[in-house]
Amino acid sequence: MLHVENLTATIGDKQILKGLDLDVEAGEVHAIMGPNGSGKSTFAHALAGRDGYEIGGVATLDGADLLEMEPEERAAAGVFMGFQYPVEIPGVNNMYFLRTALNSVRKARGEKEIGARDFLAVAKQAMDLVEMKQDFLDRAVNAGFSGGEKKRNEILQMAVMEPKLAVLDETDSGLDIDALRIIASGVNALRSPERSMIVITHYQRLLDYIKPDFVHVLVDGRIVRSGDHTLALHLEDHGYADFVNHDLDDAPERPLTGASS
Amino acid sequence: MTIGSVVERPAFPTKRDEAWRYAPHRTLAELAFGPPVELGANVPVDLDAQIPAIEGPRIVVINGVVDTERSHLGAPTGVHLSTLAEKVGGGSELVAAHIDVHEPADAFVALNLEYGVDGAVVHVAEGLEVDVPIQIVDIEIPDRTQNASCTGVVIHVGSGSSATVVETRLGVGTEFGGSNIRTTVTLDDGATLEHILLQDVPTTQVHLSRIDVTQGADSAYRARSFNLGAAYGRVAYHVRLQGVGAHADLSGLFFGFGEQTLDQQLSVVHAVPDCTSRQSFRGVLDDESTGVFNGGIDVRPGADGTDAVQSNDNLILSNRAEINTQPRLEILADEVACKHGATVGQLDDTALYYMRSRGIPVDDARRLLINGFADQVVDDVGIEAVRTWITQRLGHDIDV
Repeated sequence: MLHVENLTATIGDKQILKGLDLDVEAGEVHAIMGPNGSGKSTFAHALAGRDGYEIGGVATLDGADLLEMEPEERAAAGVFMGFQYPVEIPGVNNMYFLRTALNSVRKARGEKEIGARDFLAVAKQAMDLVEMKQDFLDRAVNAGFSGGEKKRNEILQMAVMEPKLAVLDETDSGLDIDALRIIASGVNALRSPERSMIVITHYQRLLDYIKPDFVHVLVDGRIVRSGDHTLALHLEDHGYADFVNHDLDDAPERPLTGASS
Repeated sequence: MTIGSVVERPAFPTKRDEAWRYAPHRTLAELAFGPPVELGANVPVDLDAQIPAIEGPRIVVINGVVDTERSHLGAPTGVHLSTLAEKVGGGSELVAAHIDVHEPADAFVALNLEYGVDGAVVHVAEGLEVDVPIQIVDIEIPDRTQNASCTGVVIHVGSGSSATVVETRLGVGTEFGGSNIRTTVTLDDGATLEHILLQDVPTTQVHLSRIDVTQGADSAYRARSFNLGAAYGRVAYHVRLQGVGAHADLSGLFFGFGEQTLDQQLSVVHAVPDCTSRQSFRGVLDDESTGVFNGGIDVRPGADGTDAVQSNDNLILSNRAEINTQPRLEILADEVACKHGATVGQLDDTALYYMRSRGIPVDDARRLLINGFADQVVDDVGIEAVRTWITQRLGHDIDV
């Protein structure tokens, strides 16, 4: 599904991604963990198509070259990015925004646009998923939303857009435990054999709720270690210090029993 | 000085006059004003296609003359629609405030006094809640020999009554020309007026609007101006809060393209204690357009307890567009709360990226953001047909 090879990203004279390799197959959930400044968010934005980076290497989704596409074309190709800091758009109604987004990708794919009434049913389902009330859709996009509401709105958008590949950038940051639970259950409900996910997080906590198939450690613009979910538990105990020296083997073993409470 | 008499005109304003600083002075000098010339019923105007779809009473004025064919003067009980010519001829008290101007503020007021002998008069008796909007439509069709016209509007709302007036200013043709429209509003004690102004004359024309408002105690004046058309479109409000507890709420949108200059001149005088005023204007400026916001709050001695707030927010879409925003506050009373603020910004790149990442093409995303900014003024208009007119007008013209 997603194939990333030797991906580089540079802003000005600062190289942030230094040759990142990653393959994600359909239905898989990959977690990317790493210390601050390791390039996690840059990777997400490089996939979503943010301006301002000089990008090198390869990123394809089902063979289609993502790096050649505008952000809206990537969305139409099935990429969805959940923002760490969802943007407030005063004056633009959330419902209208969502329907415009969905119809834009449908139009780009040559599909029929969805009418207001049918869309309401789609939105209703998505709202239930993240435990949002109707008035949520009547407000301006993210304007005046709490941190938790903004993140729930991201998952709601993902549910409406039904992407092939969801890249969730620090979706857990700034959430209390209840909001985290709601978001995680929303994400889990959206897992499917046709959909891949990349969950970017600084903390292992989110992975207690969204169990990844693979965990990758990103340090200084490269993936330095890959493993199963027990790798995340190791990071929880030992931090990233080990990986700065690429030296995992010195760390003590930890039993593979899932998260400690 | 009375209307229709030959007056001694003050000299034309110059760049040194703050209120006319950004006006195209050479162009204004090319306007040839004169007595109104009736064009007759054969004027080629498909009116209903161009004005908000509101049923009900209306007065249509073409080149300064009321067109009785196109007007619907029938109105609900207690509401009286008539023509300025008729009222001036009959020596009616109703139009006294409009015609007894002893010192014209500038040359255009003087020209209007001289040539603006006809126009719309709306009178609402006391103690009425008028739920049908009253429409006034002004159309300018420049003629090569006389390219500019003057007309007047008089609105009087009686004590305790409330009414809505929608004024639409349009033009026909591609000839150079201009219109000079002076509106006089009098609100008796406890009266409420929602006064919507839609200015959309062709960009080959110049449009000058002046609205003088006098408010009695506990009256409320809500102005909503949409200054959209004309090469130079000017909307000047002069509001005098003359009765204790009066409230003036002026808001508007100006949206410039090409080489338009859209000029908002506001002056709110707090003459007595405990009045409140709000000024809230938004500008969107594209291409090489220029916006002007010159907002005055004048708190006279003794007007204690004044509460006045002013804001002007602008969105600049092109690096050749320009906004000139200036608050003018003169406070000569005690215990006064006055606030003012202005912002100038560009389209938020992060918001554009966010929307594009949801599949919305960049042009649509720009349009959504611009409309989102403008809609915060549009949403404030209570009449759906007017909101529809504005959004269609804006949607039609946004070239993203």
